[in-house]
Amino acid sequence: MAEPILQLKGVKSGYAGRLVLQGADFVAGKGELTAVIGPNGHGKSTLLKTISGIVRVSEGEISLKGKRLDTLRPDQVVAEGVIHVPQGDLLFPGMTIYENLMMGAYLTREAGSVAERLERVFTLLPKLKDRRNQVAGTLSGGERRMCGIGRGLMAGGELLMLDEPSLGLAPIVIDQIYEVIFDLRHAGLSILLVEENAERIMDQADSIHLLDNGRFAWTGKGAELMARPEIVEAYLGA
Amino acid sequence: MTPIRRDILIGLICIAVALIVPFVFGGRYVVTQATVFFVWAIVVVQWNLVLGVGGIFSLAQMALFAIGGYATAMLGFYLKVPMLVAIPLGGLIAVVAGMIIGLACLRLRGPYVALLTLAIAQVMYVLIVNDTGCFTNVSGCMPLFGGVRGIGQFGDLGFRSLFPSKWYIAHYYVALGLLALAFVFSVAVIRGPLGLAFKALRDSPGYALSRGISRFKYQLWIFAVSAFFTGIAGGFYAVHFRVIGPTVFSFSLLLFLIAMIVVGGMGSIWGPLLGAALLMLADEGMKEFSDYRNIGLGLLITLFVIAWPRGLAGWFDRLRALRTSNPD
Amino acid sequence: MDVVIQIIASGLTLGAMYAVATVGLSLVYGSLNMLNMAHGALLTLGGYMCYAAITHLGFHPVLGLAAAALVCALAGLAIYVFATLPLLRAENFETNIFIATIGIGAVIESLMLKSFGPYPIPQPLAVSGSVVIGNVHIPLQNIMILLTALVAMTAVALLLQKTRAGRAIRATSMSRDAAQLMGVRVGQIYAQVLALSGGLAAISGVMISSIATLTPVMGGDPMLKAFIICIVAGLGNVYGAVLAAIVLGLLEAATQYVLGVRWSFATLLLLVILVLIWRPYGLFGRQQVVRL
Repeated sequence: MAEPILQLKGVKSGYAGRLVLQGADFVAGKGELTAVIGPNGHGKSTLLKTISGIVRVSEGEISLKGKRLDTLRPDQVVAEGVIHVPQGDLLFPGMTIYENLMMGAYLTREAGSVAERLERVFTLLPKLKDRRNQVAGTLSGGERRMCGIGRGLMAGGELLMLDEPSLGLAPIVIDQIYEVIFDLRHAGLSILLVEENAERIMDQADSIHLLDNGRFAWTGKGAELMARPEIVEAYLGA
Repeated sequence: MTPIRRDILIGLICIAVALIVPFVFGGRYVVTQATVFFVWAIVVVQWNLVLGVGGIFSLAQMALFAIGGYATAMLGFYLKVPMLVAIPLGGLIAVVAGMIIGLACLRLRGPYVALLTLAIAQVMYVLIVNDTGCFTNVSGCMPLFGGVRGIGQFGDLGFRSLFPSKWYIAHYYVALGLLALAFVFSVAVIRGPLGLAFKALRDSPGYALSRGISRFKYQLWIFAVSAFFTGIAGGFYAVHFRVIGPTVFSFSLLLFLIAMIVVGGMGSIWGPLLGAALLMLADEGMKEFSDYRNIGLGLLITLFVIAWPRGLAGWFDRLRALRTSNPD
Repeated sequence: MDVVIQIIASGLTLGAMYAVATVGLSLVYGSLNMLNMAHGALLTLGGYMCYAAITHLGFHPVLGLAAAALVCALAGLAIYVFATLPLLRAENFETNIFIATIGIGAVIESLMLKSFGPYPIPQPLAVSGSVVIGNVHIPLQNIMILLTALVAMTAVALLLQKTRAGRAIRATSMSRDAAQLMGVRVGQIYAQVLALSGGLAAISGVMISSIATLTPVMGGDPMLKAFIICIVAGLGNVYGAVLAAIVLGLLEAATQYVLGVRWSFATLLLLVILVLIWRPYGLFGRQQVVRL
């Protein structure tokens, strides 16, 4: 396995009075596509929110390349290079695509690297270029998702965290989105992907982690998961 | 002891103490101030139902109080209705007004309700104060709602002629009786089905809705029922002071009443009553510093909301929790 | 014809003042869900600070206005640090901050009363003279108010649309979580918004007192109208609020002329109630879908 980029040690976190993550241990490798799967309501989104600092850690440690993240504010976590593309995109609905992308580069102050990244995002997702002045609230589901991922890429981070990028999209659009994700991974970006549906990522992911009731219940490769039909059946209903 | 028994016990003790007050402190000043306290306590206890229990951010309570007072006074002045009939009628008119205000507000979210009710009260004030046309010339020119000077000479409960020198003691007992009724009523609401419905709506809105608990219906109910005693308090206030005027809309008074609820503890049973008593006493003690009254009230409200949002009632709850957790 | 010119002139002046008063309120509600009941008091504070700076400290009028804006911006910051910040960490933020700012507003207004007395004081920042359009004399003061409001509104619009900080403010008001995920430090945004809103309140307070007079309670009426404008536009909708302010200003001038001053506020309110029954989230407001 590659050298680790993100490491969680016994992380507990949750919302007012309810613990969701109950001691999660987890490692994601640098330059790899790491997938977290598991049924709904078992803490997948909370895992990402905890890493990005929106949900506070009540116990345990999170570190990025050895640097502690769990004591930082969300904006400081972003500054460290951890980019969270949230579930349902959470675009800024009253802003144009261009403005949304610029918000992605909020912490980058040199105009040069912003322009460079914008060019790269437009090459990767040409549709965004065509519609750059359209207001985000009027986009279709697939366009929104692309805008969300593009906005995440604008930050130029080291670790891209995607929360259910296939949610609510038509199968053909899901294929397009995953094509982009796999391209990014081949270009060397570290990606942490959360999905309810494991099938599509099985053969591409470098490692797969099964989150069950706030803890990681199983870790391995896609092929190994296929060899354990009882896990697939019990957790994913496939 | 169950909470209900405890409430009854405390209530009985309070009433017993209140009953003998006029005999112990016979002075007219103390008795009159205590009567005023009862009036504000009624308003605050009812307002607490809307604010703390119903979670409706209405600032219209003093407008309802004014409606009760004005209705009583106008019924007496223009139609010569005896006060014993006019005051309950005033309460009913306040209920109708409360329903109308409630209907206008209840589809709105919290802050919109606050603004709209504040604006309604303000419009009533402006309309009354700016009215200078003579509606009647019976005893000098008087606008329909009495204008800046208000309405007077509309009748009396009869105690003034019955006990010429001790009428204020009779008023004291009337106000005490009204407060006791209003309070029992508020406890019944908080501990009864209506209070339960609101608790359900607060704790699990989705489930409550699916069980057929309609927020709209219950909010309208609580708005209407709390208007009744508020209106009656307004009517009694008018009779007691023999005048009702636009001063009841004053911001200073609104601040005073909000402070009572916030200091006592919003949504609790005894909090508003405790807050009302404390603030009346503090106001009394600080008479010489009356210039600073609003500064003090403002600071008090701000401090309590930030530091102890559940008010004094919250302190007592915590004390009790401490006691039950250390049974030694 | 002259009547129409008269109504438009005074309506636009009213609308301009209301717009400046409303924008700050709307920004604060939009980004923090905070209904700032001390806004009227900040207006009053601004008016008196401008008066004090010019009369007692001998400032140039323009500097006096700037000083007032600065003091009120600091007051806005103080509200953030001492009330908003601690309350944001607790439950029931919307209700609690509402009550807390009622208290803060009362304190500020009472302090003005203590320091400057209850009697009306003329605002020294005023120009005399008038221009004639048709047969109507329009005071230069009104034109100055219009221009000041125009400058202030343009500055705010440029700030929100064209600058990095402005974009962050808009982003925060659209989605607090998403803004954080972009690296926006929302606490800083909140502080900026409250300071900006304080500064704008000062400007509108000075404008309002320059055609009326300074009194310790002068903020109440414009604040209530600003609230009404916010409600009509939909709370937190800044551009809708400007439009609604101008429309309501014109409407107020027209009702004052047709029905008399007495009825203008009542008519306004009736209109608002009708609007709210028709659209409970305001004319330009979006219904927030509550997920259970």
